[in-house]
Amino acid sequence: MPNQIKFDEKMRKAIVQCSRCSFCRAVCPIFDLTKRPIANASGKMILLKELMEGKLPLTESVAQAFLRCTTCMNCTTNCPSGVDPQEMVKSMRKDMVGAGFNNLFKAMGETIEKYGNIYGETERHDWGRKKEKAPYTLFLGCVGTYREEESVQETLRLLDILKVDYTMVDEVCCSGVLEDVGYSIKEDLARRNIIEIQKTGAKTLITTCPYCYRVFKEHPSYKDLGLEVKHITQFLKDFDFKVKTDKKVTYHDPCDLGRHAGIYDEPREIIRKIAPNFVEPRRTRENAMCCGAGGGFRGAFAKESVRIARNRLSQIIEDTGAEILLTECPSCLHNFRNAKRQKQKIEIYNLTEFLAKLYQEKTSPAKEAA
Amino acid sequence: MIKKLVEIVGQDNFTDQLEELVPYSYDASMNVYRPDAAVWPESTEQVLAIVKFANENKIPVIPRGAGTSLSGGVVPIKGGIIIDLSKMNKILEVSIENRYAHVQAGVVCDDLNRELARHGFIFPPDPASSSVATIGGNVATNAGGIKGAKYGTTRDYVLGLQVVLPTGELMRTGSYTMKCVSGYDLAKLFVGAEGTLGVITEVTLKINPLPRYAMTAVATYARLEDAGKAIFQTMTSGVIPSVMEIMDKVTLKSIRENTDIALPDAEAMILTETDGFTWEEVEAQMEVVLGILKNNHPVEIKTARDEKDRLNLWKARKSAYATLARVSSSFVLDDVTVPISRIPELLVGIQGISQNYGIVVATFGHAGDGNLHPQILYNEYDPDQVERTHKVEKEIFHLAISLNGTLSGEHGIGISKANYMTLEHDPVEMDLMRRIKKTLDPNNIMNPGKRALD
Repeated sequence: MPNQIKFDEKMRKAIVQCSRCSFCRAVCPIFDLTKRPIANASGKMILLKELMEGKLPLTESVAQAFLRCTTCMNCTTNCPSGVDPQEMVKSMRKDMVGAGFNNLFKAMGETIEKYGNIYGETERHDWGRKKEKAPYTLFLGCVGTYREEESVQETLRLLDILKVDYTMVDEVCCSGVLEDVGYSIKEDLARRNIIEIQKTGAKTLITTCPYCYRVFKEHPSYKDLGLEVKHITQFLKDFDFKVKTDKKVTYHDPCDLGRHAGIYDEPREIIRKIAPNFVEPRRTRENAMCCGAGGGFRGAFAKESVRIARNRLSQIIEDTGAEILLTECPSCLHNFRNAKRQKQKIEIYNLTEFLAKLYQEKTSPAKEAA
Repeated sequence: MIKKLVEIVGQDNFTDQLEELVPYSYDASMNVYRPDAAVWPESTEQVLAIVKFANENKIPVIPRGAGTSLSGGVVPIKGGIIIDLSKMNKILEVSIENRYAHVQAGVVCDDLNRELARHGFIFPPDPASSSVATIGGNVATNAGGIKGAKYGTTRDYVLGLQVVLPTGELMRTGSYTMKCVSGYDLAKLFVGAEGTLGVITEVTLKINPLPRYAMTAVATYARLEDAGKAIFQTMTSGVIPSVMEIMDKVTLKSIRENTDIALPDAEAMILTETDGFTWEEVEAQMEVVLGILKNNHPVEIKTARDEKDRLNLWKARKSAYATLARVSSSFVLDDVTVPISRIPELLVGIQGISQNYGIVVATFGHAGDGNLHPQILYNEYDPDQVERTHKVEKEIFHLAISLNGTLSGEHGIGISKANYMTLEHDPVEMDLMRRIKKTLDPNNIMNPGKRALD
């Protein structure tokens, strides 16, 4: 069988650069769960090497193997040889689709195209925050909108409390995730978003989802957006918050916000203002373990994804003994909330949601006592 | 075979899927051979059943931990079943009062040390791969690391083992005590045996109290001979530093040119550390070491007392492997070891060999115990370079043996060095090794094709 994949120079270099030291075993969330070498980066780099050398035929099951990666980038950060395996995985997913190995995300692409969101939802909650013009536009993304509505509600309330003059738009999926799972961004959806956002006359686009943030910021389809793009933690870091908590608080770095976007300090600056009793997990910042939701993994392998979140959550609890786990990513939040066992007392919030709750407690302390 | 193995470990812990077997065809060396199947046993009973079955049917079995070996040690040259012990990763007992830890073979080194650190203890051998390497793999290769000169290698900490013998019997050997001369020391026979004599399933390790303080110094030398003298004079001064590392000029140049670490243009750099339980003790030791370093005409000496400075001094040494791995697509990393005073001869010799064949060899390593790592840089897709690399490796082995050294200080023989075994071991010794192997493993199922034993 002819080798259907073209290995470009970048890919060839990465393949020979991998020294198979296997240090990536220590940081791969899927390896951690399964203990199977095919799960982690060095296993996948070896598959690529054999594909490149024509020793391994490209089959459906080989193509499938490349879906088993959360693209969390922890392997990249910890690779002594300077390889970026998750980039190779993403590129290979595209090449494999190109070679005729469509994957289960084809259906997701069709859903996004038809419904404008990843879930195929037809009704969208009206948050009642739409204005014609405002200096700030808030973009929620699919997971927040359709799976973490209560959390979003609190985030919006916080922006109201802080008197932020913002509006929302009839957003559709940014569709950037398709790029990571073998397909391409939906240009018409990107255009719709750009038009809707620009109509508001806003100077700044604020996203709650770190992935949407990256897509708006990095993807060429959004290059004409013409707005400053900020993740909500960047936007809020200089605010004064009139609330505090004595509870022991910890923070999980979302992969898309941390390793992928380099935003580590802003959420921490906010947390330090409100929570003097802040503790870091052992694996944190650049070395934070993934919650298991990224890179399409949750969509494709929901059960394993939640088991990864369970492992991460248990580790955080063991490391920190924290009462509150904060993050600022709808996908991490959703996965952790699904993973949490009843006996685990830790409460899990998006940072903005937690802030709104603190304001709520401050204004109605009796409720807290009750 | 499939039916039987699935029966033993369950469908989820078995594979014969080609794409899953491909990663098991490799380690960090250049050897590549396919296994026929892989299993992830979850108990000693399962390992026992697998080995019994393999022995009855004369199928090779290859125990495997993290697969970080640099010698082809876990590469299945004769096919067979990979027994991946990663799921047997429980720390069974930490007995501080008796100074031992009892663990399953698949426990990762750093995980064990994290647990021990909570009690103020440590399992000292620290291979560079400790974040992923398993204790079973450490024992099978007698892993060492940076602190070998003061704290020894894995062998010095193995008190007892549980081993599944190739003939399908389960053996507990060794003790839980600090001393033991009861019978032959069979536990130590399995240390460094590279899985050729049985499958290690549990390990009892001696543990040490964690040193509380450390002080670091770095010295550069314009002449290798001076660096060499500084090393052996230090190692015989009465003070045994916990670290005594050396990097040659090729390594230094590579780090200087490819990172932002400022390094002088020197022939050699020594990194040393003293440790202990009080500052006074650590400082007094360092004073002796510094005196010797200074007496041997250094270009520059730097010391560090706090953690920040310490990490800075460590930066160059820590980045050596990664930098070399980045500048070259492929490399062979060896671990020849010589008597301490012969280090300068080894370094000069390696540089000569490198020049003769036009192949870059950067050398760094654990000077305090004579264990050096020549990293031979080449392109695996250039047949001419591959051939010259083999010749370079061969000459380095001959050189090390001529200096009364050994082929391997801490990586093992595996496939890569099997052809050189007779260079180091005389026919009588080779014969005895083969007879031991045959006695324990009459059907030659345990990791066959390694170390010139069959």
